[in-house]
Amino acid sequence: MEEKFINLIKEALEIEDREVSLTDKFKEFDEWDSLALLTLIAELDDNFGVTIQSEVFENITTLQELFDHVKNDQ
Amino acid sequence: MNPNNPFSLTGKTILITGASSGIGQGIAIACAGQGAKVLLLGRDADRLKETVKLCENGQDHGFLSLDLRDELQINAELETFLKQHAPIHGFVHAAGVSPTIPFKVLKEYQVQEAFQLNVFSAISMIQVLTKVGIKSSEGMSMVMIASVMSEVGEKGKSLYAMTKSALVGMVKSLALEYADKKIRFNAISPSVVNTPLSRNSEYRKNEAAMKQVLEQHPLGIGEVEDVSNAAVFLLSPASRWITGENMIVDGGYLAK
Repeated sequence: MEEKFINLIKEALEIEDREVSLTDKFKEFDEWDSLALLTLIAELDDNFGVTIQSEVFENITTLQELFDHVKNDQ
Repeated sequence: MNPNNPFSLTGKTILITGASSGIGQGIAIACAGQGAKVLLLGRDADRLKETVKLCENGQDHGFLSLDLRDELQINAELETFLKQHAPIHGFVHAAGVSPTIPFKVLKEYQVQEAFQLNVFSAISMIQVLTKVGIKSSEGMSMVMIASVMSEVGEKGKSLYAMTKSALVGMVKSLALEYADKKIRFNAISPSVVNTPLSRNSEYRKNEAAMKQVLEQHPLGIGEVEDVSNAAVFLLSPASRWITGENMIVDGGYLAK
């Protein structure tokens, strides 16, 4: 599941030139903006069946925290 | 036509969608203020009653609670309602949604929903409004509320832009198709206006994005009155030689 999640992050944010890990602070990515947020919410819904409200993103920093939300909401 | 004031709407009956709030409500108030009888369409009857209360000569006006996503309702209930109030002299389609969806994750059902409310409902209503027994033999003015997104792009707004471009394209051809029946078709393309719809937009939640929006508007963000005054003009005899036009009302947004 972790691999699927990381691949989804790379796909949603169109990260092609580097690896991504759960310890990354995703809001510091160059690719991160309001449109990336909407893309990520839609992709998580499509691929994991979880609906994460945009407000949740205000209180998390790392991909691990986002991954935990996805696991808990499934 | 009042020869002393070509901007007057006295004696005219105007149908307005999206009249519960925002631009549609503002247009209803402005039209009533110029002497028109207004017929209001919206989903929520209580909110339509509130709009009627805000209009001058409230006892003259009518409203119909209608879900514009439901084609059957438009065809059946709207026709009966309009026959009761005929002849109709003007129509403003202000109902709409403004989705912000990255193209990468855009779904067919989202396209269908946005086109139904923003475009398909307008098609159905125009077809009803132009029927004998409903349209005014003196002529009519139809106004579609489009958007500057019909002229320029914005990230995440491809679906919204498609719907508004469709309205602008439609009025140009309908202007020709209905000119001999004295029915004029125009669009108004506003930029960012202070409405409940725009206040919930993504950029409003982001200080930097909001600053950028303000910088793009030399005359500042618009108010509802800025659009409703333009609609009154296009509905009135003052604009009788204008058809097939997309009137930009944007505080200078497109001037650069």
